[in-house]
Amino acid sequence: MNIRHMTAGAVSGLALLVSAVSAQAEVLFWSTQAKPVEEAQAMREQVLAGAGDVDYQPNDGGPWITRLNAELSAGSGSIGVLGALHGDFSAMSPDDLVSLDDLGLGAASDTFNELAKLGTDDTKYIPWMQASYIMAANKKALEHLPEGADINALSYDQLIAWGANVKEATGEAKFGFPAGPKGLKHRFFQGYLYPSYTNGVVRTFASDKAVTAWEKMRELWAVTNPGSTNFSFLQEQLLNEDVWIAFDHTSRLAAAFNERPDDFVAFPAPAGPEGRGFMPVIAGVGIPRTAPDMEASKALVAHMLKPETQIATLRATNFFPVVDVELPGDLPPSVQAAGNAVAIMSASADANPGLLPAGLGDKGGDFNRVFVDTFERIILAGQPIEAVLEDQKKTLVRIMEETGAPCWAPDAPSEGACPVE
Amino acid sequence: MTAATTDVVDPGQDTRKAGRYVYITAVVLLCAWVLVPLYFLLINTLSSPEAVNSYPKSFIPEFDLGSLTFFAGFEGILTALKNSILVAALTMVMSILIGAPAGYALSRFEFRGKELFRLLILLTRAFPLPLLALPLAVMFIRTGIDDTVFGLALVHTTLAIPFAVLITFSLFSGIPIELEEAAWTLGCNRVTAFQKVILPLVLPGITASAIFAFVISWNEVFAAAVLTIENRTLTAFLLQNLDTSPLHLKFAGGFILVVPALIFIFAVRKYLFAMWGIANR
Repeated sequence: MNIRHMTAGAVSGLALLVSAVSAQAEVLFWSTQAKPVEEAQAMREQVLAGAGDVDYQPNDGGPWITRLNAELSAGSGSIGVLGALHGDFSAMSPDDLVSLDDLGLGAASDTFNELAKLGTDDTKYIPWMQASYIMAANKKALEHLPEGADINALSYDQLIAWGANVKEATGEAKFGFPAGPKGLKHRFFQGYLYPSYTNGVVRTFASDKAVTAWEKMRELWAVTNPGSTNFSFLQEQLLNEDVWIAFDHTSRLAAAFNERPDDFVAFPAPAGPEGRGFMPVIAGVGIPRTAPDMEASKALVAHMLKPETQIATLRATNFFPVVDVELPGDLPPSVQAAGNAVAIMSASADANPGLLPAGLGDKGGDFNRVFVDTFERIILAGQPIEAVLEDQKKTLVRIMEETGAPCWAPDAPSEGACPVE
Repeated sequence: MTAATTDVVDPGQDTRKAGRYVYITAVVLLCAWVLVPLYFLLINTLSSPEAVNSYPKSFIPEFDLGSLTFFAGFEGILTALKNSILVAALTMVMSILIGAPAGYALSRFEFRGKELFRLLILLTRAFPLPLLALPLAVMFIRTGIDDTVFGLALVHTTLAIPFAVLITFSLFSGIPIELEEAAWTLGCNRVTAFQKVILPLVLPGITASAIFAFVISWNEVFAAAVLTIENRTLTAFLLQNLDTSPLHLKFAGGFILVVPALIFIFAVRKYLFAMWGIANR
């Protein structure tokens, strides 16, 4: 009897030990963000240092979603926390994400928190960090600025004139644009060119104002380095001086400022007749329904939103905090430069902030494709603007009707699917 | 008379000379084709970030170890290297164990559906991995071989088998059956004849297909990225992150990915040369 008790005790003790070990297992942080090796390293060593046992794995979009879908359909998995852009989350089925309302966390911006519900009533991911797109220039280009132009309040016309001056002086087109295979050109059209010229994205897609916008784009392309169709990270071309003036994502310009802080300036995106259009980038953290250890996953999500983690994330990735934090003075040059440019851009009198496309679900990629195709046909293939816009409009209408996505800023709100006028 | 003959240039000698030049140029070009990119990779790996971004490039490395030191401190890189070697080795062994007998059977025996079988083998390469990865991953998670070296090696073996079968098939076909029959008359049975006569002849070719299997496994990213998490291979671990990294780290990372494969190929190169010996015979 005694021996039996003892064995039972030993076995249950062992079982406890085993369960304790498995409870302490690593939380797998499955991310599409902070992918470059240096950022991944900084995430592991600095941002996640105080978060317990976390395995941070950044991935390309393909493997990221394939693995996630495999775990969801197998009904069990190892992914604890997902880190991804708003667009990645909105392409998922909201049911596959655990509701995070009970954490009571969120961004300082209500707009972001509303986006994070993915059209449901629950918070499906917590906004994690934000960025934007800005301009950067080599200081050598500054002397060629057109007369009377203020670099912090440029217009598209002045930008084109500037590019032309540089081209005249150096004999080379030195404006750079991320039109490469991995470049984020579609965001330039959706968040910058269209809002600045048409005060809309979907409604005004094929309007007369859009025709003007594409005419300007043609003028800009004439002073753009033709190698741009190969550029995806303008920091590289800024550093090797193939490009003197560039538009790109803040974190894709960071290396230029960090390696040679004295050689480059950051400044806001240009303005058009309808104001200075610009767009935020939001990344969030969410938990898939198959997470092996829900408590640990939630603890990690909570850790990511702590003010000190947010500042560490800023240093690691050049993405800015989404909660109100006091920024320290010793941030890397890239963060200071980008922070200033974004601040000037959002505070400018003619600011016309847009939002990320919302409500498109897994059609987000098709939506981007419309803009990329339009660019390729009008600018690269030189097809007539009106005809291409009419043609692409059909695809856009189909996407909007299939998804029923309502308009987002700067388009005027709509009842039901956003109409293409 | 003698003066006249010396004046006449020997046309044969001239063509031979020209042929020699063509030959040497071809050799130099072929070597440069392989070596110049590797050399640039090496130079840029051993350069500071400024030098990597500057133009024109120097031909002499400045021995700045910054980029390599970064990877030396990169968490998990050694485990990933170990996994890569394990998976590649397992793939090699399994694809030969399965592929070589299939190649032998195809070349020595007549059976119904032989042609169809040869076609079907190639079909395993007809489906892109991104398409297969999802159902595979679901199955692996359910059967419990998810995130293991063995599971990934199974997938890589599937990719390598068509090559293993077709290479060994042509090897065995190149060896006359009379050699085997002679061995049978001299007291060998089927197994010993294979072991004593055929095997030594095909060994170099088998090594070549093993190298092929190794390289296929070493270079494969998608399946590795989806099917392994804790036990990532070096390619899955690094390659996805390199394309978005700064230029100097791209070079250093590329160098780290290339070197182990190069060392491996150097280690087995004598078997390869031996195979070319067979081809010339």
